[in-house]
Amino acid sequence: MSSPLVGAWPPFLAASGFCSLVSPELAWLHLLSDLAIGLSYLSIPAVLLVVLLRRRDLAYPWLVGLFALFIVACGLTHLMHAWTLFSPAPVLDTLLKAITAAISVTVAVTLWPVLPRLLALRSPAALEREVMERRAAEERLGTFLANLAEAVFVVRVHPDGRLQIESVNPAFERMFSVPGEGLAGAAPETALPPPLAELALPRWRKVAEQGAPMEYEITADLPSGRLTWQTVLVPLRGADGRVERLLGSARDVTATRRLQAGLVQSARLATVGTMCAGLAHEASQPLNTASLWLRRARAAARGLPEAERAAFARAAAVVEDQLRRAGDLVARIRSLAGAEPEAAGRFDAKEPVAAAFRLAASEAAAEGITMTLRAADGPLPVQGSAGRLEQAMMNLLANARDAVIERRRNQPDAPASVEVALAQQSGSVVVEVRDSGVGIPEAVADAIFDPFFTTKDPGRGIGLGLPFAASAARAMGGRLEAWNRPGGGANFRLELPLADAGAVPAGAGAVPA
Amino acid sequence: MQEHAATPRILVAEDEILAALAIEDELLGEGYAVEVAADGQAALEAARRRMPDLLLTDLRMPRLDGIGLIRALRGMAPLLPVVVMTGYVPSDGAAAFRQDGEGPVALFSKPVDMDALILELRRLLPLVG
Repeated sequence: MSSPLVGAWPPFLAASGFCSLVSPELAWLHLLSDLAIGLSYLSIPAVLLVVLLRRRDLAYPWLVGLFALFIVACGLTHLMHAWTLFSPAPVLDTLLKAITAAISVTVAVTLWPVLPRLLALRSPAALEREVMERRAAEERLGTFLANLAEAVFVVRVHPDGRLQIESVNPAFERMFSVPGEGLAGAAPETALPPPLAELALPRWRKVAEQGAPMEYEITADLPSGRLTWQTVLVPLRGADGRVERLLGSARDVTATRRLQAGLVQSARLATVGTMCAGLAHEASQPLNTASLWLRRARAAARGLPEAERAAFARAAAVVEDQLRRAGDLVARIRSLAGAEPEAAGRFDAKEPVAAAFRLAASEAAAEGITMTLRAADGPLPVQGSAGRLEQAMMNLLANARDAVIERRRNQPDAPASVEVALAQQSGSVVVEVRDSGVGIPEAVADAIFDPFFTTKDPGRGIGLGLPFAASAARAMGGRLEAWNRPGGGANFRLELPLADAGAVPAGAGAVPA
Repeated sequence: MQEHAATPRILVAEDEILAALAIEDELLGEGYAVEVAADGQAALEAARRRMPDLLLTDLRMPRLDGIGLIRALRGMAPLLPVVVMTGYVPSDGAAAFRQDGEGPVALFSKPVDMDALILELRRLLPLVG
């Protein structure tokens, strides 16, 4: 079908369906529009293709590809339209239209089932909001961790089993007195204080290997002092099920454990005190009567002949000596009950400790034992009896000296030192006596403050020195504890409550009689 | 028991009869007049009959203990000197028996050092002549 309107230009309008293009202007507009649409339809998939190539994380990449194909097909049909204005190609045109139809139907059919999933996708704004919320939550968690009283730490477990500290919170740095900046990324073996690494690492490794959470309690001598802490250690697994990290939280229970031990010791000493008071009282009566009658006997013997009087005097001296010995023992037992008449008042703990130290140091020097005393500056006021504290210190120092001598008997080259440290620690005066001696045998650790318990050879001690020191500490509201030092030897820690601020009178005054 | 008006009198309260006998012997030997009571109640009755110049007492005694006895006698004679002999010394020492404005209290733990006790008695209660 040819139109009479068609001349040399505009193009030969021969394609079917264009007979309605009655004016050349309309034909031109038709041609240019088809070209514009066709080219645009080719440009848009190019953009989509670039997006597809650059953004590999798109939700439905195949859908975008399908769209691109659909648009290309539509574009080609428009270009075909433009072409057929000049040269009719009904077969190609129809084929192209059929292909486009197939693609369109495919896209239309595919799109509907995908629609709910597309709608479920979060918008970038929603994602942005969520990111902000998560950042805020992370910040809150960070603040929480930074201000948490418990020490929190994260340890990375490498595939070869190597451990690496990932992060710790400020409480961790405070509790174990380690600087945080050096810790992150460091190997725990080298970055943590040796006693801590020695005790904690085997447990960390076990959790990393077995993959089960663990709770443990450790007591160790750290640079900051003796610490007891409870740790909960949880393995964190990666996608492959391997333990990738350990999350630990540690709580300082030193004060709680001290308090518990103090209560147990106090109850034990109270029982001992009652027993000692009763024993001292009952034993003192017959000793008293016997001593009084010995004097009577002496008086009566004055009338005897010279030789018999001398023999009697010898016998009486022996009896008197033995009675005195028994009397001294009764006095020592009585002192365990905390019932010695003595002046109680406020005094500087440094004075009796230094006095006991001077006495012990001169004796120790003769034995080749080095003794050192380190004391905090300023007075350390406590409430109680200075004489009793001095006696308690004498007992602790004698005990330390004996332990050093005993160790040296078996190991002549062993170090021979006794260190005394006197310091103020959060409301308490703490006296520590650290020796390089034999230490406390594990099996008897609970019994060393019991009266008449001794590990010394017969004749070298009757086992009243440490009970006296413990009872003196208790009488002053404090306590005595002991443990073995990592390098050998024992550490005795005498803790006394710091007296209220105020003037410290020199020494303790006598009670008016 | 020889005594005349000027001889200082000591009341001994001690439930251990053997100890009381020996103490009586010692004190008589020193020149004091002595009255022995077997417990606090007996001592209180003796003091009511005649107030001594010094009380020498045990603490743990039947019927009336040493502290009760001291308080009762001090109620009658606040300046009465007191010497306590005991097997169990209270933690605050002699202060436990004495109130402000009262006479002195000396404390001896058992077994008693008799020489020291006699020195203290002489100080508290000098013998005339």
